Amino acid sequence: MSRILLSRLIDLIVVLFGVSIIVFLMIRLIPGDAVAIMLGANTEITPERMAELNSRVGLDKPVVEQYLIWAGSALRGDFGTSLWTGRPVSTEILNHLWPTLELTILSLLIGAVLAVPVGCWMAQTRGGAADVAMRIGAIAGLTIPSFWLGIVLILLFSAFMPSFSSLGYVPFSEDPLGNLQRMTLPSVALALPILANLSRLVRSAMLDALGQDYVRTARAKGLSERKVIYKHALRNALIPFLTSVGIMTGYLLGGAIVVEQVFAIPGLGRLILGAIAERNYPLIQATILIVTAGFVVVNFLVDFLYVIVDPRVRA
Amino acid sequence: MFRSVLRSAVGAGVLVAAMASASAQVLEIGMDNGPTGLDPHLITAFPSFMVVNGNIYEGLTAVDKDLKVVPGLAESWTVSSDGKTYTFKLRSGVKFHDGTDMTAEDVAATIRRVQSKDIASPLASRLSAIEGAKAVDAQTVELTLKEPSAPLLSSLATIAVVPSETETNKDILQKAPVGTGPFKFQEWQPNGFILLAKNDAYWQKDTPKLSGLKFNIVPESATRQVGLTNGQYALLPNIDAATALQLKGKPNVTLGETLDLAYTLIGMNVSKPPFDNPKVREAVNYAINRQEIVDAALFGAGVPGGPLSPALKSWALAVKDFPCYSPDPAKAQALLKEAGVAVPVAVTMNVLPRQDVKDIAQVVQEQLNKAGFKVELKNQEQGQFIQDWRNSNFDMFASINAGSPDPDEYFYRTFRTGGSTNVFKYSNAEIDQLLDQARTQQDPAARKSAYDQVQKTLACSGPVAHLTYGTLFSAMRDKLKGYEVMPNRSLVTLKNASY
Repeated sequence: MSRILLSRLIDLIVVLFGVSIIVFLMIRLIPGDAVAIMLGANTEITPERMAELNSRVGLDKPVVEQYLIWAGSALRGDFGTSLWTGRPVSTEILNHLWPTLELTILSLLIGAVLAVPVGCWMAQTRGGAADVAMRIGAIAGLTIPSFWLGIVLILLFSAFMPSFSSLGYVPFSEDPLGNLQRMTLPSVALALPILANLSRLVRSAMLDALGQDYVRTARAKGLSERKVIYKHALRNALIPFLTSVGIMTGYLLGGAIVVEQVFAIPGLGRLILGAIAERNYPLIQATILIVTAGFVVVNFLVDFLYVIVDPRVRA
Repeated sequence: MFRSVLRSAVGAGVLVAAMASASAQVLEIGMDNGPTGLDPHLITAFPSFMVVNGNIYEGLTAVDKDLKVVPGLAESWTVSSDGKTYTFKLRSGVKFHDGTDMTAEDVAATIRRVQSKDIASPLASRLSAIEGAKAVDAQTVELTLKEPSAPLLSSLATIAVVPSETETNKDILQKAPVGTGPFKFQEWQPNGFILLAKNDAYWQKDTPKLSGLKFNIVPESATRQVGLTNGQYALLPNIDAATALQLKGKPNVTLGETLDLAYTLIGMNVSKPPFDNPKVREAVNYAINRQEIVDAALFGAGVPGGPLSPALKSWALAVKDFPCYSPDPAKAQALLKEAGVAVPVAVTMNVLPRQDVKDIAQVVQEQLNKAGFKVELKNQEQGQFIQDWRNSNFDMFASINAGSPDPDEYFYRTFRTGGSTNVFKYSNAEIDQLLDQARTQQDPAARKSAYDQVQKTLACSGPVAHLTYGTLFSAMRDKLKGYEVMPNRSLVTLKNASY
C-alpha cells in the first residue's frame, strides 16, 4: 500500500513540475504584455513608466530567472501576490474555491446518485419503451450545452417564479437557504450532462454484468431481482463508473467556466478566465497548478475506491 | 433547549429581515466586468471608474450632466489675471471615510501624488501644467501653473482627492479606498460584488438617500437582463443599444438615455503609404456613410459625429459643416486618382474585439471597398490590438474611445506632434499652433474659434475618421428615482437617487 502511495506521490510531483513549466512558458507566449493591457488604450503613459511598471511586477527579468524565483517561493508555499490587486494569490484562490467546490459536489451528487438507479432501470427494461425514452433523453442531456440550459432555467424561473433568486452567490455560512437556492439551478444545469453520461455508462456495464454466469447463478439461487441487480451485478459495473466520476470531478474542480459566467458565480473558472484576460501571471500559474493537483489527487482517490469495490485489485 | 435556541434564532432572523426592508435600500447594480483595482489615480478601466468616481471619491471641481464645470470639494475659486495662479476655497465640514477632516494639505498631497514618478499615475499628464500646489491655510489651496491652462478646471474634476497619508503608498488604495464621497467602501469579493455603504458624515445634507450600492459583477448579458426584469437588480448602467432595445417595454423597467461622449473611429497611420497622403484620408471620409453605420450597426441609436461629441454642445461643430461628411463614393475614387495611388488600395484594418466595433468595421469595410479600397479586416485579441496600437503597427484600425469633457484633453495628446497617444504619427504645424494657443487661451470666444478651425481641418484630412457617437442607455426599475445617465458614464447622480 505504502508503495502505491509513494509512486502516486512521485507522479504528482512530476506532473506538477511539468505543468508549472508548460503554463509558465505558455502564458508568456500569448501576445500582448501584461502592463500594456492593464494600461488600456486610453492612457497616456511614457515608455519609461511602462518599464518602471514592468520592473515593479518583475517582468523585466529573463524568463528562466522569473521561473526560478517563482518556483522557489511556490515551494515554500508562497504563490506571490496578484499583479494588480496586490492581494495574496492564495487568498484569491481560496475565496474562489468554495463556490466551485460546492458546485462540484452538488452537481456530482445529483448526477451520480440519480445515474445509478436510472442506468439500472434502463438495463432492466432493455429495448422497452422506458429504455428507449431514457436513452433519447440521455442523448439530449449530452448534447444540450450547460450554458444554454442554464439560461433557459433562469428565464423559466424568472417568468414563473420571480421570487426565486437564482443569480449570484452568497456563502453558505452567511445565508444557508439563500446559498442553496442560488446553487440549485447551476447544479442542475451541470448535473444533466453528468447524469446522461453516467446513466448510459451504468446501463452498458450492467448489461455486460447481467449476461455473466454469476448473475445466472444468483438468479438460480432464487434471489430477488432487486438483490441480483444491486448486490451482485452493480458492484461489478461500478469500476468504469468510478473512473468516469473521477475524471468529471477533476474537470468540475477546474471550474465550470461557462455556467459560472451565466449564473454570475465567483468560482475558479472565472478567476482563471479573468486572470488570463489581464495576463495576471502569478494568479494563472497558481490557479492552474492547484487545479492540476486537484485532478491528480481525485484520480488517486478513485484508485483507492477501486480497491474497496473490487477485491481483485488488492492482490 | 436546542429547539428553543433555533426558534429564537429564526425569530431574530425574521426580525432582522423585516428591519432591513423597512429602512433605506441597498441598490443592486448589475455590471459586466469587475474593477481591477480601486486606487482612483491608478485605475484605467471603465468598471473601476464607475465604482470609484463620484461615489467613493470627489474632485475639487465636478461636471454636471451637460459636462459644465461646477464646484466640487472646492466651493469657489479665483484665477489670477495672468491665468497662472488658481486659489481654491475648500468646502468646510468635509470628512474622509476614516473620520479625519479633509484639508488643504490633503489636496496638495493629492496633486503631488498624481504627478509623482513613483506612483506613475496615468492621470499625470492632465496636471502637467501645474508647477506647485500649496496649502495656504486649512481651507485654502493655491495652485501655481507654468503657463495658463484653459482645461485645468475640467481636468481637476477627474482627480480624486485622497488623504495625505497615502501620498507615497501605491498599494493601500487599490484594495481599501478612502475618499470623501457619498458612499464608502465596505467589501469586495472579486468576481462577485463590490459593496459600498452610505457615508453618514457626507457634507451634503440628507444625502445619499440610499443605504448603499452593491455592484454585482454579472458577465453574461442575458443574465443581467433577466436579473433586471425579475427585480433582483435595480439598475444596469451604461448598456449598449442592443441590450437596451431588448429591455424596452418590459414591465417595471425604464430606460434612461443620453448622448455618449465615447466615439467610434477609424484610425490611420500617416507615417506610411497609403495614408501618408491627405487625399487618401479625405477619400476615406467621402467613402464612409455614417448614417448607414448608425442604422446598420447601432440599431439607429446614435448620431454621426465629427472630432468632438455633439454632447459637448458648447464646442462641437455640426457635421453639416464638414463637406466630406456627405457620402460620395465617386468623389472618393476621384481623390484616390488625384493622389496617384494604385487602385484598389489594399489595406489591413485591425479591429478591437468588441461586438459594436466589429459590426461597424464590417459596414465600413463594405463602404470603402465600393470606393476603390480593398480592406482586409483583422480581428485581434485585445492585448494584441493594444500592443499594435501603442507601437503604431497598423495601416488602419477600428476602435472606440472614451471622450473628454474638454477638447484639449483629447486633441492635444492625440493630434499634437509627439502627443502621448498620437499613435498615428500625425504632424501638422497649423494644428500644433492652434492647440498650443487654445490651451493657454483665457478668452472663451478665442478658444472656441481655435477649436472650430481644428475640427474643420481634422474632420476631413486628419488621421482619424470619426464615425459615430452612440446613445448611451441605462436600464432601471421604475422605482429608482433621481438617477440620471451622464455622457461620461459617471454614476455620480446615484447620490441623489432613491429606491
